[in-house]
Amino acid sequence: MPINGNADPGQLTQYAPTMASLDTEALTLPNVKVLQVIYEIDDAVMAELIPPALHPTIPPTMHVIGLRADDGPLGAFTLAIVRVGCRAAVRPRGLPTRAVCTEGEAATALVERWGFPITVGEPVLRERYDRQSIEVNDGNVTVLSAQLIDPVPIGNGDLLYTAGMHIANVERDGETKPWLVQVDPEFEVSRADRGTAQIDAFDSAYWDAPDLRPVYPIVASYTTANITLPRIRYICDPMQPAISGTVAL
Amino acid sequence: MKFGIFYEISVPRPWENDIEHTVYHRCLEQVRVADEVGFHSVWAVEHHFLEEYSHCSAPELFLTACAMQTKQIRVGHGIVVCVPQFNHPIRAAERAAVLDILSDGRLEFGTGRSATWTELGGMDANPDETKETWDEYTRTIPQMWTNERYGYEGRAFRMPTRAVLPKPYQKPHPPMWVAVSSPGTEIDAAERGMGSLGLTFGGFAEQEEKVNRYRSRIQDCEPAGLFVNERVATVNFLYCHPDNETGIKTGSRLTGSFGYLAAQLLPVREVHPTRSYPNPGLLAATRQQAAQNPGEGVSAPEGVCIGNPDRLVEEIKKWESCGVDQINFLLNALETIPQEQVLDSLRLFGEEVMPHFQDDQPATTSEPRELAATVAAGD
Repeated sequence: MPINGNADPGQLTQYAPTMASLDTEALTLPNVKVLQVIYEIDDAVMAELIPPALHPTIPPTMHVIGLRADDGPLGAFTLAIVRVGCRAAVRPRGLPTRAVCTEGEAATALVERWGFPITVGEPVLRERYDRQSIEVNDGNVTVLSAQLIDPVPIGNGDLLYTAGMHIANVERDGETKPWLVQVDPEFEVSRADRGTAQIDAFDSAYWDAPDLRPVYPIVASYTTANITLPRIRYICDPMQPAISGTVAL
Repeated sequence: MKFGIFYEISVPRPWENDIEHTVYHRCLEQVRVADEVGFHSVWAVEHHFLEEYSHCSAPELFLTACAMQTKQIRVGHGIVVCVPQFNHPIRAAERAAVLDILSDGRLEFGTGRSATWTELGGMDANPDETKETWDEYTRTIPQMWTNERYGYEGRAFRMPTRAVLPKPYQKPHPPMWVAVSSPGTEIDAAERGMGSLGLTFGGFAEQEEKVNRYRSRIQDCEPAGLFVNERVATVNFLYCHPDNETGIKTGSRLTGSFGYLAAQLLPVREVHPTRSYPNPGLLAATRQQAAQNPGEGVSAPEGVCIGNPDRLVEEIKKWESCGVDQINFLLNALETIPQEQVLDSLRLFGEEVMPHFQDDQPATTSEPRELAATVAAGD
């Protein structure tokens, strides 16, 4: 059978939030700019990046995602996320290792309501005619710089975004422990470009995935989309195979 | 209705000792039994890098071994990946011709283009280009087979005039097929006068619509080869057992394992947005359906050929009424079903299911519906 992750969920929670409640309402963010840069990663550590509930993709992948909302119900914010591509049983998923969000209402909501592993920082999403990029600095050190180069328009329906499995401490049946919270936003894309993927800087230790190493670019996309963050419908025990450890709420 | 068997050649971890050797030789034993009980064809895919799911990267070699060990069963090269980074078209034509000769004219030639980033990325092929290269291959390979010498100046490749040798044993050339996984590819097959080698099924109603579109469009086709191969094949699972519940339960282990493995791969569409791949492909519907029932329970999805002979006859009759000419069966995945049970299933199918279906076409000939205008060599 496919390879399972072998990471200790307790070790994956350095930036994982504690969610007081999973009963959240859906929320639509209008006209969000979304940069996604996908790379293949070093397969030597692929199983160490995800918990036993999940399988690495074949080949193993990472997603660098940059989002910028200029207005909307959570105000203006910019968010950078690093995720490991994976499967929950047969479903395509991404496991965020860490996210950085500008300070404000959005950061609080994304942590409390959807379990994003956010720390506050100053990610910058830049939109140029020849490229789009996401950059995160930690003091004077650039810990993430990823870009799409030479954008060309593609169909709005050509893109797929995979759902997230956010590891968060959740109280359930009187016990607080790490769970994988499934967050499957809906994307209504109004404009989409595709281009060459390029990661110029990536500090894996900063992103809480010490041995994660991007090795081969796949593709980058840049879209404008209305994103609906959903109600939480499923959680999964990170120590059990997703096919048996998934719980419907 | 004809019946074939269809190999991905799934090899479970751990890949140690002689597991690949064992699996390959079990497959060959199955092919010998299938030949004895009257199956029409054995198909083998071409896949690369698809861990556990398919270790069938040199199907022409496997099929040559099949041909050497059998008498009647046709050998389906299904499919040859028509992408230059995988196969140069001249080599594809040459290998196919040799296989046709060695099998005494039993080759069915399937064409396709791969549907996973796992493979296309691994071969450094551009997913945007694969439809174009596939089209070019399907036009040129029949010319290489049927003209003494052939030269070509094209988009994917060029060649000065040469004799591509040997020529196939079947004249004018082996029947050609197209792998159909994406919606609408059955139209591509029809427009080129090629057989529709279905790799998904979405139930009877969807299949019937596809067949109707195919049959309608092929009437006005411009054949890629020198004749029209008007046939519709679809893929299915097979586990036949005297007890229906046992058959469904065991067969569900097969469908579940297969679907679970397939889902671990990276479809092009998931990571590389392109209009060239409008859906996940690669047995997507089959795997999705299978994955909903991963080895548990005793109900069989619509149309899946697991259960006792009576149930299989009933399901196959429905496929037949949809206009399907041939069903190709997957027999195992991850060695989930012990070899003896697979062989027993094949024999039981041959004894109690096959007789219900009249095979009104000879197994070893293709019947050209019409000859196409021969295109001059060296264009």
